[in-house]
Amino acid sequence: MSLAEPAALPVAASVPPRLHLLQRFTGRFKVSLPAYLLLLPSLVFLALFTYGAMGRVLIDALYQRATPKAPLRFVGLDNISAVLADPYFTGAVVNNLVYAVGTAIPSIGLALLFALALARTNVVTSALRAALFLPVLIPMVAASALFLFIFLPNVGLLDYYIGGLLPVVPNWLGDPDIALYAIMIITIWKNAGYYMLFFLAGLQSVPEDVMEAAHLDGAGPFMRLRYIILPELKPTFLFVIVIATLNAVTQVDHVFVMTKGGPSNSTNLVLFYIYQQAVEHYDIGKASAATMLTLAALMGLTALSFRTMANREGGP
Amino acid sequence: MLFSRRLMLGLAIAGTFASALALPALAEGPTEIDLFFPVPVDGKLARDMGTLIKEFNDGHPDIKATAVYTGSYDDTLIKTRASIKAGKPPAAVIMSANFLLDMQIENELTNLDSLIAADGTTKDQFLGQFFPALQGNAVINRSVYGVPFHNSTPLLYINADKAKEAGLDPSKPPQTWAELTDWAKKLTKREGDKVTQWGIAIPCAYDYCGWMMETLTMTNGGRYYNEEFGGEVYYDTPSMLGALTWWNDLINKYKVHAPGATPGPAVSTSFISGNAAMMMLSTGSLTYVRDNAKFAYKVAFIPRNVRNAVPIGGASLIIPAGLEADKQKAAWTLIKWMTSPEKSAWWSRATGYFAPNMAAYKTPDMVDFLNKNPDAKTAVEQLDVAKPWFATYKTVPVRKNLEDEVMLVLNGKKQPKDALVAAQKAADETLKPYNAETSLKLP
Repeated sequence: MSLAEPAALPVAASVPPRLHLLQRFTGRFKVSLPAYLLLLPSLVFLALFTYGAMGRVLIDALYQRATPKAPLRFVGLDNISAVLADPYFTGAVVNNLVYAVGTAIPSIGLALLFALALARTNVVTSALRAALFLPVLIPMVAASALFLFIFLPNVGLLDYYIGGLLPVVPNWLGDPDIALYAIMIITIWKNAGYYMLFFLAGLQSVPEDVMEAAHLDGAGPFMRLRYIILPELKPTFLFVIVIATLNAVTQVDHVFVMTKGGPSNSTNLVLFYIYQQAVEHYDIGKASAATMLTLAALMGLTALSFRTMANREGGP
Repeated sequence: MLFSRRLMLGLAIAGTFASALALPALAEGPTEIDLFFPVPVDGKLARDMGTLIKEFNDGHPDIKATAVYTGSYDDTLIKTRASIKAGKPPAAVIMSANFLLDMQIENELTNLDSLIAADGTTKDQFLGQFFPALQGNAVINRSVYGVPFHNSTPLLYINADKAKEAGLDPSKPPQTWAELTDWAKKLTKREGDKVTQWGIAIPCAYDYCGWMMETLTMTNGGRYYNEEFGGEVYYDTPSMLGALTWWNDLINKYKVHAPGATPGPAVSTSFISGNAAMMMLSTGSLTYVRDNAKFAYKVAFIPRNVRNAVPIGGASLIIPAGLEADKQKAAWTLIKWMTSPEKSAWWSRATGYFAPNMAAYKTPDMVDFLNKNPDAKTAVEQLDVAKPWFATYKTVPVRKNLEDEVMLVLNGKKQPKDALVAAQKAADETLKPYNAETSLKLP
C-alpha cells in the first residue's frame, strides 16, 4: 500500500482551500508581514533616493530651457533626440564600450588566473592573495591621484622604468590615442583582485570527488580545467561579467581625477558626459535624457543577465 | 543593482549634508556664514585659509565664518551652483574671476552696488583700491559683482643654472617669441633621438589650456573674446592662428617642447626636477617653486611676438544671490576684511598670488618681503599690460570647445588652422541660444 500513498498527496493539494478572498489576503499578509517590516527601511530609502530620483529625472528629461532668462518649456522627446544626435554622447558611448570590453576581459582573465594559481591555501598563497586584493581597498580617487604621478611623462615612475625601452616616451594621459588605455590599466589593476575573490569562492564549489575521479581516469590539468572547472565556474563568470559591465559604466572617479574626459574627449565616458551636461553646460534636460538612456540600457542588460542566470538554475 | 546602490549612497550623503546645512542658526549669538574656497595651484593654501579665517573670527565676535574647501575653480562653481539651487547658498565664495559673467547671466550673483553705497562710498572709490586691470572681471554692466581677492598672471620661469650652463644670461631673459625659441633650442638636450631635457613646458589641461591660449594670443596682438559682450569668441582669427602655430612649432618643428597636453602639476614637477628648463605658469605657483626648487631660478615677463600683454587669472570674492540680509551683511564685512591691504598682502606672501589691493604693496611687511623676494615683483609689474580674463556665456563649455581642438594640435593630430575653424564652429553653436536671446533679438 505504500505505493498508493504518494498518489494521495496531489489529490489533497488540488482541493482549493475554501477561504474568503480577504481572508486569503490577510492570511498571506500575516506570513509576509515580518518580511515587509524588515524590508521597510530599505524600501523607504529606495523610494526616496532611487525611485523618487528616477521619477524626477524622467520628468526633467521632458523639459528644456533655451537660455537662463527663458522659461522652462515642455519638449517631449526632444532632449532624447538631442542627446542621440550629440557627437560627444555617441563618442562617449563608443569610448565606454571600448572601455567596458577592454577592462572586463583582461581583469576577469587575470582574476581567473590568480584564483587558479592561488586556490590552495598556505602561507605563500595567502600573502599573495592579500597583495592582489590590496588595490581593491584603495579608494579609486586615491589610486587615480597616485597613477597621475606614475603616468607623468619623462619624470613619472612608469617612464623612469620603461621609458628607456621605448623609441618615444609616450605622454600617457596627454595623448588622445593612449589616454583611454592608460585609464583602463588602473581599472584592470584595481578590479582583478576583486573578481579573484569570486573565482576563489567558485573554485570551492568544484566537487572534490569529481576531480579525484577525473584524476584517476587520467585527465591532465588542462582536461580538468576545460571539462570540469570552467563549466563549474559558469555562474561565477556570468555574475562577474555583470559586475564588470556595471563597473565600466558607474566608475568614473578616475576620469574625473586624471583627465576630466580629455584630451579632446578621448576618455569621456557616459556618466562623465551626464555630469558635464548637468553641471558644466547647466543643461538639466539633456543630462536627464542621457541618464534615462543609460538607465534603460543598464536595466535591460541586468534583466537579461538575471534571466540567463535564472535559466541556468537547476542545470548542472 | 550596483548602480542604484551607488546612486542611493550618494543621494543619502547629499541628503544628510543638505539637512545639516538646513539646521536653523541660533537665534542668539553670532551670525554663522560659510566661505567656499578653492585650491587651484600647488601649495598649502588650505592651511593658510584656516589661519586667516580664525583671525577674522577672533576679531569679529558677532560673526562666525567657516571656510569650506571646494576643490578646483571649476568644482567651486559647480558646488556653489548646487547650493544656490538647494536654496542654501554660502555667504561668500572665492570664485574664479572669469565665471562672474556667466553667473550674472544666470541671476546667481548679488549686485554689490547697494552694499558699497550703504558704506558711504562710491563705486569708483571702492574699485579705485584695486589695480585697474582687475576691474574688467569684477564689473558687469556698470555694476560691481565681485571684489578681487587673489589674482595672477602667467609668468615665464627660467632655471638659471641650466641657462648659464647653456651659455645664456639669465639676467637678460628672452623678451620675444624669437628669443624664447632660441633659448628653448639651446636648453633642449638630446641623446640620439631622445630628449633628456626640454627647453620649455607650457601647460595644457582643461582650464589651464584656455588661459595659456589667451596669453599667447594676446602677446600676438589679438584677443580671445569680446570683453563687452558674452556672446562672441575670436578663435578663428590670425592672431590666435599665429599663437597656436607657434606653440605647435615648439613641439612639432623645433622639438623643444614635449608633445601632447600636459597638466599644470606635471609642468611644475617637470621644472622642479630639471626635466624642463623653462616653463610658462601662473604666479600662483611661485611660492611652490620658491619652496621646492633646488636651483637658482628666475621669473620673467611672458615674451611677446607683437605686444606685451597677459590675461588676469585668479579669483574674486562674490556673494551669491538669495541670501538673508544679516548673512549678506556679515559676508560683506568678511569680504572687506579679507581684501584689506594688510590681509591681502599677507595672503599674497603665503600663496604667491599677487595682492589686488594696491595699498597692500605699501605695507611695511610687504616692502620687506619684496626686498627679500624680488621674484614676487614680476607679476605686479606685468599688471601694466594685463587685461581681463576671458568670460562668456557658458564659459566652461565655450572654453572646452577651444581646448579640445588645441589638444589635438599639440598631439600632432590636426593642423592649427583646421583646429581653430572647428573650435570656432563649436563655440558659435554653444553661444547660439544666448545670441538669439540678446544680440540677434532684433526690434
